[in-house]
Amino acid sequence: MSESILSLRGLRKSFGDIEIIRGVDFELLDHERHAIIGPNGAGKSTLFHLISGSLTPTSGEIILDQQQIGGWEPEKINHLGLSRSFQITNIFPKLTTFENVRLAVMRSHGLQYAFWKFIERDVRVREETERLLEMVRLESRSSTLAGEMSYSEQRSLEIAMTLASDPKVILLDEPMAGMSHDETDYTASLIRDVTQGRALMIVEHDMDVVFSLSDRISVLVYGEIIATGTPEEIRNNAKVKEAYLGEEATA
Amino acid sequence: MKTQSVLFITAIALLLAIPFLLSQGLVDAAIQMLIAALFASAYNLLCGQAGMLSFGHAAYFGMGAFATVHAMNALDGTGLLPTPFMPLAGAVGGLLFGIVAGYFSTKRSGTYFAMITLAIAELVHALAPQLKDMFGGESGISAMRMPAWGFTFGSTNEVYYLTLVWVLLSIALLFLFTRTPLGRLTLGLRENAHRLRFLGYNTHRLSIMVFAISAMFSGIAGGLQVVSNEAANYVLFDAHLSAAVVLNTYIGGVGSFLGPVLGASVMTFFGYAVSDLTQSWLLYQGTLFVLVMMFMPTGLAGIIASLGGLHKRFGVASLAPLVVLSVISALLLSAGGTFVIEMLQRMLSQNYQSLASLQTATRWPDILLFGQSWPPASISTWLVPISLLAVGAVMGYLAKQWVQILIQREALKSESNQSEKEVVE
Ligand SMILES: Nc1ncnc2c1ncn2[C@@H]1O[C@H](COP(=O)(O)OP(=O)(O)O)[C@@H](O)[C@H]1O
Ligand SMILES: [Mg+2]
Repeated sequence: MSESILSLRGLRKSFGDIEIIRGVDFELLDHERHAIIGPNGAGKSTLFHLISGSLTPTSGEIILDQQQIGGWEPEKINHLGLSRSFQITNIFPKLTTFENVRLAVMRSHGLQYAFWKFIERDVRVREETERLLEMVRLESRSSTLAGEMSYSEQRSLEIAMTLASDPKVILLDEPMAGMSHDETDYTASLIRDVTQGRALMIVEHDMDVVFSLSDRISVLVYGEIIATGTPEEIRNNAKVKEAYLGEEATA
Repeated sequence: MKTQSVLFITAIALLLAIPFLLSQGLVDAAIQMLIAALFASAYNLLCGQAGMLSFGHAAYFGMGAFATVHAMNALDGTGLLPTPFMPLAGAVGGLLFGIVAGYFSTKRSGTYFAMITLAIAELVHALAPQLKDMFGGESGISAMRMPAWGFTFGSTNEVYYLTLVWVLLSIALLFLFTRTPLGRLTLGLRENAHRLRFLGYNTHRLSIMVFAISAMFSGIAGGLQVVSNEAANYVLFDAHLSAAVVLNTYIGGVGSFLGPVLGASVMTFFGYAVSDLTQSWLLYQGTLFVLVMMFMPTGLAGIIASLGGLHKRFGVASLAPLVVLSVISALLLSAGGTFVIEMLQRMLSQNYQSLASLQTATRWPDILLFGQSWPPASISTWLVPISLLAVGAVMGYLAKQWVQILIQREALKSESNQSEKEVVE
């Protein structure tokens, strides 16, 4: 088995008196697709916020690429090669779709503070932006204001922006929420393609996608991981059936 | 594209011709307009493009001004730089102070950012008169423009051209900046700074850079002011200058690049033209600002843009009634507003109050305004502005209706076109 690129050890997070993440131990292996499932309010998004630097852990360790990153600034974590998308669409609504992706592409081309050259002259940035737009099937929306696109198009844009920095570790928080069946299928196969050779952590409610996409699945219930295993193992796990899949079946 | 370049060349030609066309007084006013236009443009980089509302931009204008006055006086008055390069000292002064102030103020955003900029400007304003060596105390510092490159810089016209070159160059650089990676990121800061961090950008550092660049160009404007006035005084740090640049920028329109330039030029010109006629110029400025924010939040540039849009859609002929109605409405409303403001200003003035208390015959003696005397207690006096305002409002309403009619007509036309097509099919 390959090494783990991201490890969580005894991770806890409280908001005031309420403990939301209650001692999570977790390993994300290099090159694996790992889904986190669990009922609403289990703490999946909170977990992503902790890993990506939105939130500071109350205790415990987050180790990315041998570094303890708990409490780091989001941009520093991003520089280590981690990129994330957001459950609630988080884009630049009054800029064009092209501009949204270009902002995401620019940094990995070392253009963070450049004011001595014109962005339009940079062929690499333009081509990379166009490639990403094509990949998420938004090339025809290039000059549309991002905020004026449909919800599912904005979800696709969110994915393109997340992939733009050529990350080693990708965190996707419900990327398909609000997509049609066809769009979900396309996006699932897109995610499968682009995560080739990278590590993926994904939160998703569509169980077909989760079971077909993932190498491993972890089940988070009330801030604790109650099971980790291959799709087959999770499907047959009694605790999971009781706590989560059972709910799904009766619902 | 073609009309744009024609407009551009015409504007440059007019600006170059101004000293030949206008009196010295007006050339002086034009210098002030240019400086205000650059200041507003620099301010809009921060306010309009980066979405950071600074309430203390006089600080960077002032720092640029004092840096320039010291540079002019350096080396026993021969000057650190040849006169045409003096505004560079302003740029350095604005930039350095902008980096320091930007470091602290951009640690916060929104209201907190605005409050910190306000506090920094107030701090400088309070400290400046105490620091005699640096800011010349209450009386300020004066300097002389030295001849350079075969120019004496003794005449207003020479100063005008020097100012024009610097303002055009600076505004061009500010425009080119919007095309650079940092310029694009500036918009990202305004739209969603949070997201930028997760794309790997250090938003604090980005904000400091944008802040400092805005301060640098403000400093150039301050430097030009000193080159023109040959003096700097701590009054440059006054809050009213900070307020004026905010008002000018919004009146012009923060949404477009040239809006603030337009707003600042127009307002500075009105200030020049009107300040001798009234004691309430600030009141007019404030009233105009409130009206613009209420009825046309996109500012003058927004009006021009929407007029352009309507022109494209409906043609000149159908637009003529709209323009006529709007202009009449604006004139009537201004006349009514002016009447009210001037009457009130006179009624509330101390002179009038003491006159009124001396006179026993009437509580409200007549007021002289526009060559007539008006009894303030009589209804007929107030009927004048009320009817002006009312008719103006009706005209404005009609103008609005006219646009509605045009839109409806267009909709009907396209509908009938469609049914025609269906019949053919
Ligand atoms: N900033 C916060 N302050 C207080 N409670 C929070 C905060 N963020 C999340 N929570 C709570 O933490 C719990 C887990 O939320 P979340 O991580 O969004 O769940 P999930 O993504 O699994 O649906 C919820 O009960 C939510 O109300
Ligand atoms: Mg969630």
